[in-house]
Amino acid sequence: MKRSGKIALVMMGTSALTLTACEEPKTDAAIFETVEQCVAEQGLTSDQCYGEFDAAKAQHAEVAPKYASRADCEADFGAEGCEVSPYRTNAGGSVFMPLMAGFMMGQMMGGRAYTQPLYRSRDDSKSFRTADNRTVGNKIGRTQVAERAAARPAQKLYTQQRGGFGARARATGFGGGG
Amino acid sequence: MERRAVRPRENWQRVAAEHGFTFHTPDGERYWDESHAYRFTLREIEDGLEDPVEELEQMCFEVVERAVADEEVLCRLAIPEMFWGYIAESWRNRERNLYGRMDFCYDGQGPAKLYEYNADTPTALYESAIFQWVWLEQAMEQGLIPEGSDQFNSLHERLIDAFGRLGVEGPLHLACARDTDEDLGTVEYLEDCARQAGLATQRMFIEDIGLADDGSFTDLDDAPVRWLFKLYPWEWLMEEEFGSRIPRSGTRFIEPGWKAVLSNKGLLALLWEMFEGHPNLLPTYFEDDPGAAALGGRYVRKPLLSREGANIVFVANGRTVMGPDGPYGAEGFVRQAYAPLPTFDGRRPMCGVWLVASEPAGMCVREDEGAVTTDDACFVPHFILD
Repeated sequence: MKRSGKIALVMMGTSALTLTACEEPKTDAAIFETVEQCVAEQGLTSDQCYGEFDAAKAQHAEVAPKYASRADCEADFGAEGCEVSPYRTNAGGSVFMPLMAGFMMGQMMGGRAYTQPLYRSRDDSKSFRTADNRTVGNKIGRTQVAERAAARPAQKLYTQQRGGFGARARATGFGGGG
Repeated sequence: MERRAVRPRENWQRVAAEHGFTFHTPDGERYWDESHAYRFTLREIEDGLEDPVEELEQMCFEVVERAVADEEVLCRLAIPEMFWGYIAESWRNRERNLYGRMDFCYDGQGPAKLYEYNADTPTALYESAIFQWVWLEQAMEQGLIPEGSDQFNSLHERLIDAFGRLGVEGPLHLACARDTDEDLGTVEYLEDCARQAGLATQRMFIEDIGLADDGSFTDLDDAPVRWLFKLYPWEWLMEEEFGSRIPRSGTRFIEPGWKAVLSNKGLLALLWEMFEGHPNLLPTYFEDDPGAAALGGRYVRKPLLSREGANIVFVANGRTVMGPDGPYGAEGFVRQAYAPLPTFDGRRPMCGVWLVASEPAGMCVREDEGAVTTDDACFVPHFILD
């Protein structure tokens, strides 16, 4: 036989739609604003808590969203909600990022949540959200979060400029496929 | 090889919708056409197309091998000097490629002749891999074509397999230009395959790519783009504003940089120079090559970087017939021996043979009325039956 034995599409078409309508799977996690809250949680040792907090803190500057001005950052994270990041603009100016508002851990309690920093946005200040802007609720202590939200957050760089590709497609009105 | 009238499936538009085939009738013009189909024998496929493609791909590798060792060749291909080192490195590092399509003049009788190789941004992939396959199964089921028919089409399985072997770490970004239904359909399909291979994917538009302070390219979330499938020609990427940033971006491109050597009509002149007389090649020369005189007064003039037949000109004894207008030609031309497409019931089919990870993987037949197969050609399904 010179053809594929079977064909399946997981994203395109209507058969794919029914698959994505399923409930999102959840995983065990714990969320804390401070290390002290973590140490007070039954079943967690001080060493574990400091270890997880440090791991989250170490990622903060890498994964937090980046802004060219404090005002832009505060528009998303509220007054006094931002700090200077280690990044620099082209012109040598400061790049801003939100303050770390807490941390999430999961593997200590047998869940799959990736240990990471959490943030609070201005428009939804009660909830924690990840650096990838996925909400994980407002409960301190043991909780359940969507697996997608508990994934390792992506690195966020400071984007200096966009639109440096695509000029030929615009000029010709043709996308370049053939 | 024959062209057979086949009754269209009554519900094919609904089947298309169910399978996410949204561009079958662009701007009201028919593109998918199942009112007939091309029948091939297994020998016509295997001996006439599949084996030659395997051999041609090896010959193409020899051209790349030569190009990366000889700046003169890269210069003749009008590749910007800034990218010579980058292209050579992508080849030496054996960066894997995903797919390509070789287009042939073929009537089932004489040897197939290579018109050109779209090694960089071929479309018509989804309809070849999926909708043509579904047509075959349903057409057999409904008795529209004989039971026991087959199709040269293992694209879907091979694409998933190839995505799994690219070595992608972290998310794979897939990008094409905005406002291009056909290109977007191709990218959506490839994303589907990548997901099935277990990759995390992120789709974006080429216009949205950002440049970070450390020289990385970024997506709209400011995340670095480490692996990028781009349905956007290499020669455009290289000359656009961010082009100079590519070599130090840390982004791995699919198709890799060395595909720029193959997706260039100059390839056809280089192949002829290195393998003159090969039965699957048409005599082809760079326009400034005195050897081009050997073609006499009948030849086809093709811009080095043309796509979808744009700016192609037929010259016959002083008369010229133009292909569609387009933006190409400033980069130079090749002249290829005139080899008209065969005619079946007044229609002219071109056989496009797909390669996945450099192996022959399937076929599409596109039909046009004129001598140049353009964006307006119809996709006609095929089947194999001895």
